[in-house]
Amino acid sequence: MVAEANHVISIRGLVNRFGKQVVHDDLNLDVIRGEVLGIVGGSGTGKSVLLRSILGLHGPNAGRIEVLGETIHYQRPGPCTRWGVLFQGGALLSGLTVQENVELPIALHSNLPVETRRELAVLKIFMVGLDLTAAAKYPNELSGGMNKRASLARALALEPKVLFLDEPTAGLDPISATQFDDLIKYLHANLDLTIVLVTHDVDTLFSICDRVAVLVNKGIIVDTLDRIVSHPDPWIQEYFGDPRAVRARRATKQRPVD
Amino acid sequence: MSDYLRAEKQDGELQLNLSGDWVFERLNMLQTLLDEIDPAAQQRVRFNCGGLENFDLAGAWILYDKSMDLEEQGVTTEFEGFKATHFRFLQHIIDIAARKEYIPGFFDPQPHHYWRNGIRTLGKNTIDAVDSVGLIARSVLDGIVRPSRLVIGETIRQVHATGAAAIPIVSVICFLMGVVLAFQSAQQLEQFGAHIFMVDLVANSIFRELGVLLAAIMVAGRSGSAFAAALGTMKLTEEVDALRVLGLNPNQILVIPRVLGLVIALPLLTVFADAAGLLGGAFIGATVLNINALAFTERLAQTIDVNDVLVGLTKAPVFAFLIAVTGTLRGMQVQGSAEELGRLTTVAVVQSIFLIIVADAIFTVVYSRIGF
Repeated sequence: MVAEANHVISIRGLVNRFGKQVVHDDLNLDVIRGEVLGIVGGSGTGKSVLLRSILGLHGPNAGRIEVLGETIHYQRPGPCTRWGVLFQGGALLSGLTVQENVELPIALHSNLPVETRRELAVLKIFMVGLDLTAAAKYPNELSGGMNKRASLARALALEPKVLFLDEPTAGLDPISATQFDDLIKYLHANLDLTIVLVTHDVDTLFSICDRVAVLVNKGIIVDTLDRIVSHPDPWIQEYFGDPRAVRARRATKQRPVD
Repeated sequence: MSDYLRAEKQDGELQLNLSGDWVFERLNMLQTLLDEIDPAAQQRVRFNCGGLENFDLAGAWILYDKSMDLEEQGVTTEFEGFKATHFRFLQHIIDIAARKEYIPGFFDPQPHHYWRNGIRTLGKNTIDAVDSVGLIARSVLDGIVRPSRLVIGETIRQVHATGAAAIPIVSVICFLMGVVLAFQSAQQLEQFGAHIFMVDLVANSIFRELGVLLAAIMVAGRSGSAFAAALGTMKLTEEVDALRVLGLNPNQILVIPRVLGLVIALPLLTVFADAAGLLGGAFIGATVLNINALAFTERLAQTIDVNDVLVGLTKAPVFAFLIAVTGTLRGMQVQGSAEELGRLTTVAVVQSIFLIIVADAIFTVVYSRIGF
């Protein structure tokens, strides 16, 4: 398999089984450089399993996954300096302050002088909209929204080319969620980033995604938002026909283009 | 110089031609290159960025940092030849840097107050321990008044987990200790031809001290740590808070069964420990020292009376109480982080073993004074 030059991630023939339950059967997916791809699907359709397979945290039963031209193997470091991951719960190390959390990957992947390391970490912390007061705090002293921002700063620490976001707005109030969506949009516009996000939040989907991948029938359907809403698949119809999705879609259309 | 940075001197100014990838992966090398740049007598430094291919925030930052350093030395700096994308990065950084203000204390190391902190910790620990013992006593009293409130099932489960499950390992350890004692004492007593007194030595030390002590230390390692880790995790996952909100007293549900369970289990475990220790002594007697089982039991009956056994067994509930209270108290003190959980589990084990030894010393002095 030769991945096309502008494909950041390419998945071919992915199969995931748990006992007799087949989650993915011959799944193919390409992620294009610079896009924001949203992955949606009902519970149990294997959104997390797909994400974990891409990250090398889950060993698929069959199939081949390439990220940034590197083949992913189970539990082996992939292109770890070129991707960043925001886990659902934040997953900041609880014994370190936010500052130290962001500094850690920088320190381990370079031998920069302490000052430069610290400055780079502070830069990332500012970039996600936190200040130095928050940087000195421990993760358990942060609010939900700040926790997400702090772990986003850690995900961005190594200047990744690909950013994976697992439920970025889950557990946030609507205002924080919108702010977080705006932050992701801002980062995407200002950094050379490809973003893959798993989400349940239709607002996020409509406001930041270029393309949507829907997990149905053990496979995946990928298309632009405008076209996927009219896909005949019953689950897709139900999902985008839901009043919340309709409202979100209408709201995005009315929003001035920025 | 290198492919990434070439310096040219032109009438009074230094031109730095940047090319290639200025990205995080090469940051070490780029930083050294920049550090070598010395404007010497030049008044102006011009960064020519036209040749840059890939550029990211980290690369932009070290450039910006260098230009700030130069400005501080009184050198004018200038950037040119940016592509649109490059400029966005730099503008971005300048925006951010403008917001960066100094917060006192953030970058300064905090002064240490060893003495003050030490005394504070001592006071806090004492209050916590007294508090915890009080809460346990109240819950037990409550349980005696209203037996339905005692969580009997959980208590029995704890007796099994901390006592019955520990029988094999405690027995093996005490058996080996009996073997060691028999050997060591026999070697000394042989000189007087009095190796039958090995039985006295083994039996007295196992019954009065070693049986209960080894069992307690083993249990502190097994169950004291388990208590602290289990309760600590429950604190972290808010299970303890959930109980409180449901109107249930976490002390009653989580602490009391463990304390009562261990207080029941350790004396029983001590019986097994004593038996295994004697067995070890008898085994060596029979196989190596020519003291057969009959002679061993005969001598045992002469030297040991019920007091000796009771000395060991009365210590057991006290040791059990110390282990369980330390373990559960430390577990309940866990707050916030996984690191804290690890630290407090260690503290629980170390402190309970320390307290066991202290209590044993006190017991020995008191018992010998009253001739028990």
